[in-house]
Amino acid sequence: MSTTTATETHTGHAEGHHDLGFIRTYIFSTDHKMIARQFLFVSLLFLLVGGILATMVRWQLGFPGQPMPLGGMLPDTMAPGGIILPEFYNSLVTMHATFMVFFALMPLQAGVFGNLLIPLQIGAEDMAFPRINMVSFWILPVAGIIMLASFFVEGGAAGAGWTSYAPLSSSGEWTGVYMGQILWLVSLTVLGFSSILGALNYVTTVMNMRAPGMTWFRIPLATWSLFVTAWLLLLAIPILTGGLILLTFDQTLGTAFFRPEGSGEPLLWQHIFWFFGHPEVYILILPAMGFTSEVIANRSRKPIFGYHSMVIAMVAIGFLGWIVWGHHMFQSGMNPLLGMTFVVTTVVIAVPSAIKTFNWLGTLWRGNIHFDTPLLHAVAFVSLFIIGGLSGIFMASAPVDIYIHDTYFIVAHLHYVLVGGSLFGIFAGITYYYPKMFGRMMNEGLGKVHFFLSFLFYNMAFFPMHNLGVQGMMRRIYDPNQYEYLQGLQPLNTFISISVFLFAATQVIFAFNFLWSLRAGKEAGRNPWKSNTLLWATPSPPPHGNFPEMPIVNRGPYEYSHPDHDEDFWPQDDPPATSGSGGQPAASPTPELVPGD
Amino acid sequence: MSDAAVATMDRKPMPGMKVYNMKLGMWVFLLSEVMFFTSLIGSYIILRFAHPDHWTDPGVILNVPLTALNTFFLICSSVTMVKAFAAIQQGDQKGLKNWLLATILIGAAFVGIQVIEYAALSGEGFLPMLDAYHAVGRGNPHEGPSLGGPLYGATFYSMTGFHGAHVSLGVLCLIFVYFRARSGAYTEESLAGVEVIGLYWHFVDLVWILLFTIVYLI
Amino acid sequence: MTEQEHAHPRYILIWVILLVLTLAEVGYAFMDLPKLMLAVGLIIMAVWKAVLVAMYYMHLRYEPRRLWILAVSPIPLAILLVLAVITEF
Repeated sequence: MSTTTATETHTGHAEGHHDLGFIRTYIFSTDHKMIARQFLFVSLLFLLVGGILATMVRWQLGFPGQPMPLGGMLPDTMAPGGIILPEFYNSLVTMHATFMVFFALMPLQAGVFGNLLIPLQIGAEDMAFPRINMVSFWILPVAGIIMLASFFVEGGAAGAGWTSYAPLSSSGEWTGVYMGQILWLVSLTVLGFSSILGALNYVTTVMNMRAPGMTWFRIPLATWSLFVTAWLLLLAIPILTGGLILLTFDQTLGTAFFRPEGSGEPLLWQHIFWFFGHPEVYILILPAMGFTSEVIANRSRKPIFGYHSMVIAMVAIGFLGWIVWGHHMFQSGMNPLLGMTFVVTTVVIAVPSAIKTFNWLGTLWRGNIHFDTPLLHAVAFVSLFIIGGLSGIFMASAPVDIYIHDTYFIVAHLHYVLVGGSLFGIFAGITYYYPKMFGRMMNEGLGKVHFFLSFLFYNMAFFPMHNLGVQGMMRRIYDPNQYEYLQGLQPLNTFISISVFLFAATQVIFAFNFLWSLRAGKEAGRNPWKSNTLLWATPSPPPHGNFPEMPIVNRGPYEYSHPDHDEDFWPQDDPPATSGSGGQPAASPTPELVPGD
Repeated sequence: MSDAAVATMDRKPMPGMKVYNMKLGMWVFLLSEVMFFTSLIGSYIILRFAHPDHWTDPGVILNVPLTALNTFFLICSSVTMVKAFAAIQQGDQKGLKNWLLATILIGAAFVGIQVIEYAALSGEGFLPMLDAYHAVGRGNPHEGPSLGGPLYGATFYSMTGFHGAHVSLGVLCLIFVYFRARSGAYTEESLAGVEVIGLYWHFVDLVWILLFTIVYLI
Repeated sequence: MTEQEHAHPRYILIWVILLVLTLAEVGYAFMDLPKLMLAVGLIIMAVWKAVLVAMYYMHLRYEPRRLWILAVSPIPLAILLVLAVITEF
């Protein structure tokens, strides 16, 4: 079990599967592992798009009114002479967030790792509905092309913010954007189906296709996180879809669901959007929490501290996430009594996240820590998520939020949880699971350089934003210097912009490492991290059908450094300890398969 | 448990939800549909609370008797659907086909009647858009005063329209299932396709039961 | 399955109940009662019909308990959203 041989990396097709040809293997594949790779490549491209849009935003804020390098390539409707127009700036902030949230962070977590990890970690041969899985992937590039196309229509891309508040978004009169807004709405409506179909696949698979012995409390935390995420997607996305459709009617048919001139209610849009939008942020963070748990336990060679409480905390976040949405609306003019309720619920939801944070720290404590790249990213996740969570506590208080709402304090918070949190968590996931996906290790040296530079530049860019916000700089503003009291902040803005550019440039190292290692990385073997989950019981990459026969699970996923076992890891499907080996077995043997799970 | 016993253990997945994958998948999908209709119906409820003057008493603009009949039809189609399923549970292929066909015809009739209703309503000036709304009500002259307000029209058409779209999609799926039944695809052991389209169809009926009440009677 | 055979004759009975409730609803809607009483009564009847369809035609009554717990799970969420936002107006 502790040694791997070169032959185990062979990407064999399981016996009985005929050669499907190029199209069925690489384009229209129903194999969850290929679909995971497809999601990975497409989402990384969209991550690049979102990143480019961000650098353009930061150019304007860092070097206001100056021609942007390569800006001459842009049409005059966007940036005449390379100088970004205010209307284009609004589109940039809108589309940066839209691409990052919907086309990068969601598919990178739910799409890539939901597909890769769920069947393999529970011992299934594929998802419950492989063809629906394929459709779920293909919707992503289609929706993405619609969204990209919106830049090139008359009036440009949507410019009402990623939250698309009415009445700014319900009519082109005020933003000057007509078709672009409609395409934004259509693209996201289409994309919603990808999430819903994917979510129902994940839920069905986890509920019904676990290998014998894989009880609920033996499921690895990565799969648990994706399971909770799937439920949130399933129930939240349709709400957004309904709202998007009504807003599209306002834009195209002349209805007045959200338009005040027709007795419509702009606040209704905000409620619909955030009822989706808050579960959405947990969709964006939970999988990263899952990967972090896996990596920290494995690289510390210790069981995760408080596995049961980790599961319960994630489920609690899933539940509580539904009743906090109003904290995005404290300044909207909403009913203050309703607002007070949201203050209470929002403060409460900090608790399960805090439990998870303490458990990660407890796992690291006195562990035999291997400081390789995945672990570095996972620890960065924890520390940066703490900062993001702490700033969140400030916002949870409605009176404090009066001062900081729609300022850069919020921008700092959301980037700490989404970049410091989700993105570093994604890096942890990619560097950790890359060997299983591609059969090769990423380069450790490059990985560490990428990590340290990213961590440094990231904090240089985003920590000062707390400062900007408290000093009164508002969000989504093209020219803060129009206000005298903000003019003194320009040096800080320029510093932030340069840090962002350096952070962006650092990602080239990651891209190079990723692509180079596909061909030239060290061969990984079956279980390079000496992990316990069923995922690592298969070859790297696994063949069609994943397992020659369904594995039998005899213990939980975190039996690292068990006192009764020689090795410092104990795979879930290893046979139960026989009574003669001294001491108690690691866990109860496979329970009888009777109702009650 | 000895290694030998473990090795020969029956390798079946955990019992899970104790219903087969396709049925569980359809139920899970229907949950997302509940949330979708919630956003539409919820918007209606909220807008009505905010602007009750946009609504009239029941029956003033909308044709309650015709729609009550349509509701009866849809309920009948649920019965024919469940009888189709009961037939294939007994292996009755002829019964399956006939009851499926009945469901398709009644479902199509429901959509047809809705289309006729939409035509009549728009002819009377009951429309979803702000500028064009001038609903004179049933049996009133075209030059009469406008009753209610455009929010009534907008919410009416969005709720019933998406429901109608779901019914239409259901009819198309039923036609697909019908042709598969004709080619003998279903048996007593292999009837998942019939059961899951049945679940979808009953769900569409269930949503209509709620919609009819909320939209036409309140 | 014996439960299905047991359920089979019920389909027509449920159909009749649904019809009666539909007629009752239409009749009730046009009675001269305060708005609130009308709304509550109609919703009770509508929900009753919906539950009958779910339990008997969708077979929830005969499915494992865990399935119907799953099936009703979004309903509290739906109610929550609507009630919370109504407080705005």
